[in-house]
Amino acid sequence: MNRFARRLAWSAVVVWAAVSVAFALNTLLPGDPARMVSGPQARPADVARIREQLGLDRAPLVQYARFWRRLVHLGPRVVERDGAPEHAGCVAVLPLGPSAVHVSLGKSFQMRQPVVEIIAVRLPRTLALAVAGLLVQLSLGVAAGTFAAVRRGAWIDRALVGTSLLGVSAPTFLIALLLQYVFSRQLRWLPLDGFGSTLADHARCLVLPALTLGIYGAAFYTRLVRDEMLVLLRQDWVRTAYAKGLPRWQVVVRHGLRNAAVPVVTALGLDFGSLMGGAIVTETVFRWPGLGELSVRAMLDRDGPVVCGCVVVTAVAIVATNLAVDLVYARLDPRVTVPRAPRTR
Amino acid sequence: MPSILGKLESVGAAPAILCAAIAGAGLPGCHEPLAAPLPAGHAPDAAPLRGGTLRLAAWQDVRNLDPAGPSDGLALQAEHLIFSGLVDFDFSGKLSADLADHWEVEEDGRSVVFFLRRGVTMHDGEELTADDVKRSAERALHPTTPDPNASYYAGIVGYDAYTGGRAGHLDGVVVEGRYVVRFRLAEPDATFLPVMAMHTLRPVCRTGGDRYSDTWVPCGAGPFKLLPGGWQRGSALRLVRHEGYFRPGLPRLDAVEWTFNMQTLAQRFRFESGQIDLLRDITQADLSRFAADPRWAPYGTAGADIRVVGEVMNTRVPPFDRVEVRRAVAAAIDRAHYRTLKPAYMTVLSQLLPPGAPGYDPGVPGQRYDYAAALEHMRKAGYPYDPATGRGGWPEPVVYPLFDGGTLVYTAQLLQQDLAKIGLRLVLRMMSWPAFLATQQRPGGAAISQAGWEMDYPDPSSYFDPLFATSSIGVESSNNASFYSNPTFDDLIARAHREVDANRRAALYREASAILSDDAPWAFVYAYHEYYLRQPYVREFALHPVWTLDLTRTWVDRATGTPGSERAP
Repeated sequence: MNRFARRLAWSAVVVWAAVSVAFALNTLLPGDPARMVSGPQARPADVARIREQLGLDRAPLVQYARFWRRLVHLGPRVVERDGAPEHAGCVAVLPLGPSAVHVSLGKSFQMRQPVVEIIAVRLPRTLALAVAGLLVQLSLGVAAGTFAAVRRGAWIDRALVGTSLLGVSAPTFLIALLLQYVFSRQLRWLPLDGFGSTLADHARCLVLPALTLGIYGAAFYTRLVRDEMLVLLRQDWVRTAYAKGLPRWQVVVRHGLRNAAVPVVTALGLDFGSLMGGAIVTETVFRWPGLGELSVRAMLDRDGPVVCGCVVVTAVAIVATNLAVDLVYARLDPRVTVPRAPRTR
Repeated sequence: MPSILGKLESVGAAPAILCAAIAGAGLPGCHEPLAAPLPAGHAPDAAPLRGGTLRLAAWQDVRNLDPAGPSDGLALQAEHLIFSGLVDFDFSGKLSADLADHWEVEEDGRSVVFFLRRGVTMHDGEELTADDVKRSAERALHPTTPDPNASYYAGIVGYDAYTGGRAGHLDGVVVEGRYVVRFRLAEPDATFLPVMAMHTLRPVCRTGGDRYSDTWVPCGAGPFKLLPGGWQRGSALRLVRHEGYFRPGLPRLDAVEWTFNMQTLAQRFRFESGQIDLLRDITQADLSRFAADPRWAPYGTAGADIRVVGEVMNTRVPPFDRVEVRRAVAAAIDRAHYRTLKPAYMTVLSQLLPPGAPGYDPGVPGQRYDYAAALEHMRKAGYPYDPATGRGGWPEPVVYPLFDGGTLVYTAQLLQQDLAKIGLRLVLRMMSWPAFLATQQRPGGAAISQAGWEMDYPDPSSYFDPLFATSSIGVESSNNASFYSNPTFDDLIARAHREVDANRRAALYREASAILSDDAPWAFVYAYHEYYLRQPYVREFALHPVWTLDLTRTWVDRATGTPGSERAP
């Protein structure tokens, strides 16, 4: 429990550091958020008024302190949409008697919506794309990598390795354009881009971006699994398993693939964390309205609250994924433990 | 169902995929043929039909649909469909009555009285009254409203007290009857009526309240209305016909649907298959192909040249603090060369006002490409340059900031070549758009950079005042990015602002324009206009000279149902 608490504390430090760096960069980089809101043709007097309305006329340190004070604070137990303006964009996360702990990421300068609401809409879309993309990556990559390792040196092995090299080398946008051309433009099976308005539409719209991420990532997993499996299948215990008369598929799956899963899980954790930050190119090409497209646009618009909101979500996702990966390690390989810190007397 | 391979074979997919890959990589030289235009259902002279949905797409997004809130070019086009104003501009660019039946200018131009049409129904079913006009004005100009255009109305009596929070109401807007409202001005202002045609003070429904709110569903008296849920931010906007629109029989369309953030290649694919009906964002390569195809030639529409683009020279920063160096730059730029980059969109420009702006006079002495004169100006400035030896000129390299957007990355290289021929060596420095703006608009920031400007309302003052008046120089940022200050010029445009006689006003602006061309705080380079392609079944579509899109009279006349199996998501 102590170890878990320490990990949690470190995670909080990581999130704090990431958000602080994002805040500092967004504040200190040249460019006036008020000008970006007003537009390039707005008169200086109007820009100045909007700067004041946004609180950007305050010193950066004051803005920073206000950001953290607003991020976690106490407020009414129930947040009403048209209630007190200072709690308009809050989410009550922990009831405490008549009050509650509120989390608020502020309001977007550009979209003028609470950032929590914007992210609440976008996050499930990014999550769906990340999960679907990883599923494609894993299923294609693990199957191809295992098959190539088992048929080492055969033409199928060389073909799969060559194809995976092509997949790793191809830019995502190129894969995306090819898929769009074939499946949307020519075959008309799937939407060219977009998100859709019904669950069935969402599913149809998800296929091509997920395939794009999947094909790109599968190439990596193919090579990773193949290399791991080649080493594992030469181990003594594998020979022993064969000697015991186990069928080949059981040896490969139970003794090879299970042990190859540790590096795969590591890579998967890292991939999932970065995909939760948004697959920027894929989201842009397919007009998939997720966090990646949002964060890039916010950065270009100097929309500080959205930038910081996206960084909070991404940092939390990466930290949480890493924690989860550690737990899965222990399940996959009981030898993986972290030594306890010596007790001091 | 045929196999995938069979189907791929039947469409000749292998070379096409290669083409798509090459096109996607931005490389020229490989194209599949354009689809044929989709036919209309009736003869060209057929009577207009009501009904149908017009579908458009854009590569960018709209930020806001409230006329009092922050806006952008695309949002203005959508707002124009939702909100009508007391006055507006017709398709010839002339000021005309809209929600006002007529108006009267009184007290030597210090007061304008608007007489509203009776029986105008807003989108919420309520009748438009003078109270709504006053409430909408106060809502837009309230100190808490994030209105980027508020200061345009600073001439209204009581503006300072109201926007400063010292008065509860805007005294200069007076309701004089259910359908009569008076705007009192501190002094005569020839630009007041054009400014009133802007979207900012357009009447909003009573649901909009008397204070700006980010959660309000935009509601006005325009030809189209927004239903709750009709706007998915970052994705799509659907407007439906306002059945109570005050012009009988209009609009003709049932609905207008916009899809946002769509890549240009995806737009072209959808346009060719009839899934969108108008194509706005077109690469120059695609545009050349459409223009060269006789089947498509009749279906291109160019808008008015209302955007001026020029090279801004900071008159406070060497070497452009010397007028002869600025004149040399203005004479050294081969404008026709620029135009070859995007000929369908660009018009060579020699003066501040572009051809589509009111007051444009081709007879105004402007800036011209004259290489010999440019060298002579450099000699007069004290930096003679010898093209034969490459010696002389300004001794230091000059930083030219730019951002990755539009044609700037290409025109910058042309400028670099042109100025090198007179001894000015530019160093191109790429930066983000916000950083570029901050650099350009800050005193002592960029020595030379490119700027574009589009009129906010159709009047010469919308170009002259913000770009070159001394009063437009701010402490932190300036629209007058050349930091040009000339008392004679300031006096001319101030007089033009007050002058109500059209001929005398035009003469003042002609004189001011000639001063600018000679003093050269900008080298005026080209004017820019919108260009749309339409399918033949889109009828009575024309680009508005001010607002670009006005779909009040447009109708769709498809010969067949919606082609293509894909539903537009």
